[in-house]
Amino acid sequence: MSTVDYLELLKLAAPETIVVAAAVAVLFVDLVIMRDEPMRHRLLIGGAVTGLGCLVALLWLAKVPVHAAVLGGVLVVDPLTQWVKGIVLVLTLCTAALSLHAKFTEHVGEYFTLVLLATCGMMFLVSSDDLLTIFVSLELTSLCLYILTAFSKRDRSSAEAGLKYFLFGGMAAAFTLYGLSLVYGLAGTTNLRAAAAALAGQGLTPLLAVALIMVVIGFGFKVAAVPFHLWAPDAYQGAPTPAAALIASGSKVASFFVLAKVLMLGFAGVEGSGAWRQFSAGWAPLLATLAVVSMLLGNLAALAQRRVKRLLAYSAIAHAGYLLLGLLALANSDGRPEALAALVYYLATYGLTTVGAFGVLGVLERVNGSDRLEDFIGLSRRAPGLALCLVVFLLSLAGIPPLAGFFGKFYVFTAVVGAEPARLGLLWLVALAIALSAVSLYYYLQVLKRAYVVAPVAGADRIVLTWEDRLAVGGLALAVVLLGVFPSLLLSPLGAAIQVAGY
Amino acid sequence: MRGVVAYLWLIPLLPLLAAGAIAVLRQPQRALAARLAIGSLGGSLGVSLIAFFSTLGAAGPGEAERVYLNFPWFELGGATVRLGWVLDPLAAAMAVMVSLVSLLIFIYSVGYMAHDENFTRFFGFLALFAAAMLGLVIANSLLLLFICWELVGLASYLLIGFWYHKPSAAAAAKKAFITTRVGDLGFLLGLVWLYAETGTLLCYDGGNGCLEQSALAGLVTQTTVAGLGVSTAIGLLIFCGAVGKSGQVPLHVWLPDAMEGPTPVSALIHAATMVAAGVFLVARVYPLMDADAANLPGLSTALAVVAWVGVVTAVFAACIAVAQTDIKRILAYSTVSQLGFMMLGLGVGGVAVGMFHLLTHACFKALLFLGAGSVIHGVHDEQDIRRMGGLRRPMPITFATYAVGMMALAGVPVFFSGFWSKDEILHAAHGWTVSQAPFYLGLLGALLTAFYMTRQVCYVFFGPNRGGQAAATGVHAAADAPRATDSTATNHGRSPHESPPVMTWPLLVLAGLAVAVGFVGTPAWPWLPAYLEGQGATFAWGKLFAWGTLGTMLLSTVVAGVGIGVGWWLYGRRPIERAADPDALERWRPEVFGLLRAKFHVDEFYEATFIRWHGRWAAGCAWVDRWVWGGMVLGVGLVAQGLAWLSRWFDEYVVNLGFDAACERLTQGGGWTARLQDGQTQNYLKVLGVALAVLLLLLTWGGSS
Repeated sequence: MSTVDYLELLKLAAPETIVVAAAVAVLFVDLVIMRDEPMRHRLLIGGAVTGLGCLVALLWLAKVPVHAAVLGGVLVVDPLTQWVKGIVLVLTLCTAALSLHAKFTEHVGEYFTLVLLATCGMMFLVSSDDLLTIFVSLELTSLCLYILTAFSKRDRSSAEAGLKYFLFGGMAAAFTLYGLSLVYGLAGTTNLRAAAAALAGQGLTPLLAVALIMVVIGFGFKVAAVPFHLWAPDAYQGAPTPAAALIASGSKVASFFVLAKVLMLGFAGVEGSGAWRQFSAGWAPLLATLAVVSMLLGNLAALAQRRVKRLLAYSAIAHAGYLLLGLLALANSDGRPEALAALVYYLATYGLTTVGAFGVLGVLERVNGSDRLEDFIGLSRRAPGLALCLVVFLLSLAGIPPLAGFFGKFYVFTAVVGAEPARLGLLWLVALAIALSAVSLYYYLQVLKRAYVVAPVAGADRIVLTWEDRLAVGGLALAVVLLGVFPSLLLSPLGAAIQVAGY
Repeated sequence: MRGVVAYLWLIPLLPLLAAGAIAVLRQPQRALAARLAIGSLGGSLGVSLIAFFSTLGAAGPGEAERVYLNFPWFELGGATVRLGWVLDPLAAAMAVMVSLVSLLIFIYSVGYMAHDENFTRFFGFLALFAAAMLGLVIANSLLLLFICWELVGLASYLLIGFWYHKPSAAAAAKKAFITTRVGDLGFLLGLVWLYAETGTLLCYDGGNGCLEQSALAGLVTQTTVAGLGVSTAIGLLIFCGAVGKSGQVPLHVWLPDAMEGPTPVSALIHAATMVAAGVFLVARVYPLMDADAANLPGLSTALAVVAWVGVVTAVFAACIAVAQTDIKRILAYSTVSQLGFMMLGLGVGGVAVGMFHLLTHACFKALLFLGAGSVIHGVHDEQDIRRMGGLRRPMPITFATYAVGMMALAGVPVFFSGFWSKDEILHAAHGWTVSQAPFYLGLLGALLTAFYMTRQVCYVFFGPNRGGQAAATGVHAAADAPRATDSTATNHGRSPHESPPVMTWPLLVLAGLAVAVGFVGTPAWPWLPAYLEGQGATFAWGKLFAWGTLGTMLLSTVVAGVGIGVGWWLYGRRPIERAADPDALERWRPEVFGLLRAKFHVDEFYEATFIRWHGRWAAGCAWVDRWVWGGMVLGVGLVAQGLAWLSRWFDEYVVNLGFDAACERLTQGGGWTARLQDGQTQNYLKVLGVALAVLLLLLTWGGSS
């Protein structure tokens, strides 16, 4: 191994370094300077430092384009990873904005530090082509998220959710590690590309199949695909709302991206096929199976929910199903750039939409103290702007044009159909996804019906929104509309970045 | 010059942004709206002036220096539609004129519209208009020009109908919009044809533009119906648009009615800028109009048509103007007539001759309209010149500036711009080898112009004030208003007054321009024509006294003198005493005067022919729609109802009992998902193990197949 130029390494990892510095700064500021200040000020200052850290990191990403890989893929910096990291940072920024009214904790500094450390983990996750760093960053992210889930210490359900998440996550991490070590054992290298090259031509040996399944299980847990989703409804329900938003958005973006990389690069050559009556073993049929059950179970179970956070959790599971379809499209190397762009676009817009929906939910929770469907009754009168934003988010999740969610689904489905162009073999999956999208509209409209149609009970007063809420929720709604109307705002730079990164 | 063209888009963009900003202002934010509009136009004027100065001295020999910037707009199949800006003397001079005159009119409007509750909206529309007009001026693509052209039409519609609660204003707005649309149809057809033939609508594009040699050479060689060259046919179709917009016969009918809008609008749109757009269009596509198989510059069929239409309009409208009594209507017909002169100038003399008159006319006609607005403002919204009179004493500034405008329009020699530009046209008409008739008709038009302007000034500013007699004619019913000859003494609070400085200052500036602009195009120093044609101008007294020039000058001086003299003799010597008195001409030849007052019955003719035919056709269509198509729709509807009934039955008894019931159970009980999600972590982990086994089975099974 060649010697490392640490200065160069620091420059390449500068965004992550900035985030870590911000994490330390926020802890220091809160514990040393702001200790005796009122909660409101502490939250504002903590949020401001967090936001500043994210912004500086974003600026660095935007202003300092670098393209390099160090230590044989331990840290890979190319335009595509820069973009995905940017998306993660934006989502963290929004999460921080939603946290400014947190009532669930007095440990402000620790809270923001954990958010930033989780973000740092996600960023390293995105930036890595190496099994070892992937696992370490995965664990960094996961551990932070476990703690954040249990952060509402006086709330039993939060603690319970944290514990369940942790137990489930620990098990999944064990699977992942086992799978990765099998890969290392088979290939003798931790680099994804090198491993694929070493295993080329052997086909799907039984040991590799076990490794593949283990890895898929580990990541399936992270992205909440059925049947590894069981932690998700409890965690979403129990976790403080901003933490749930981060789990549902940033963590999902990073995990899906890295799963795409692991499968596409590390398991190149054992794709197999999930086409109708053309099954052949590999990761494609595996993902196809998971996608089908995720879409089915996520959408159908969401129908039965009475709590909106749980509803969003099942909706997230259903979306994981759609995204797994997007991964399927990567199995074929023709049209891979388009499929990858579609996937990242879907992830970004889904992340923004989910954070927005959780933002609306957070405001309502603060006012009503719970997230039952009934609490949405009369929202359009109590807070017309907020209700309008909710319409944008939920309809985007349902995939109604011209919102971003529609185009995300559209591009992903197009990519999937295009991935097996000769036989249209994956059409059955797309047809199922579209049918289930129609089902999903039912439960999203259940929420909107209460917000707009059902007559409110007398005495419900107007909801007063703070400027942070307005800025964060309104900005996210605007972004969802804009990215829907002009998808090329994101798609064309992504396309260019993918070309430069060379997938 | 090359650097400036990159920023040329600022000229229309600034007013456009202002219009957008004003659109979201609330009604009471009047001062802000006015500041935005005036400020943005000031910016446009600044950029226009920079552009203008950059074109000075850049003249090469023979051909005007021209820089342009083209950019792709969108792609349609294999074709890329491109737009662009152009900076040449024509565009620069026009842009400076439009922004300068608009700026003065904006300032004037602050005073004129001070009492209107929709002041903010008014300025929004004005800014939109200015943006569209300036965009039209700098367009290097006929498509962009057409877009701006239509936007200008829209702004004009909105502004004519600004007082939409007046039925006459609403009708006038509609009339203007529809009448100009008739011409625009020809324009659009011309553009489509041109695009089909040349594949581009960019005027100049490094040799590939539709106004450049290679495209034109292709066009002149082809002929279409009646032996007409394709270039001539396209030129004439485009000229249709100019006929509509510039109020040439037979589409002139909308322009006088458009005076229903507020007076600054009349000045801005229907005198100085928008109606000149038609003339500008012809000047812009002059290479196309000029292209002819015979290859004689300035003598193509299309230009001959332009000249004839122009001169007929000039005389026709001047005749009508003689018998009108509404102060703005006289000016409106005068505008139509002068636009005819410009067309004549383009037809017989080329771009420089027509554009020179356009520029001078813009100054003095804006001055006249604003003066008329000042008069109307001063006598409390009275527009009938028979109920004015003697206003030179209470309104001295308005009178003095109006007199300057009137003399410029009438062509009083040497000191007034109208004289020089009109003389240029007559001189060119005299030299036209096709026919001498336009020259003599032009002289007649000039005579009539001097005459009706003298008549108007005599009515408005001289003689006794007949304002108090409004009661007698029952328009402003005020039963106790005494019959007054000296209004200042008797009319309490209703006496004529001079307008505020915000209105008189623009008048003074425009009066100065109405005098000064003439001197840049005299035969002795033909700077402006030379500038437009890209040549240097030299100062030579001698040319002033060359025989041809001097002869025309003397002749037109005589003509103007006769017109003014006759006017004074008829109206100034013995002004009418009462508003109801017959006109001097009416006493002499009532039937002719009646015909002129009725505008040659053109409106009635259209009413009896096109509009009635159209009405019948529409009634027929309505009948077919109701009975034939309606019947079909009804039939389809019945079938659909039958299907819907079937579908409902199916829905209620098949779907509801099946799917809905299943859904209901799922929703209520949570079904098997609830059993899966039992909250026990140990069970969750069991699922993980089971999933591992199942997936492994799946892969091995899949691998064996």
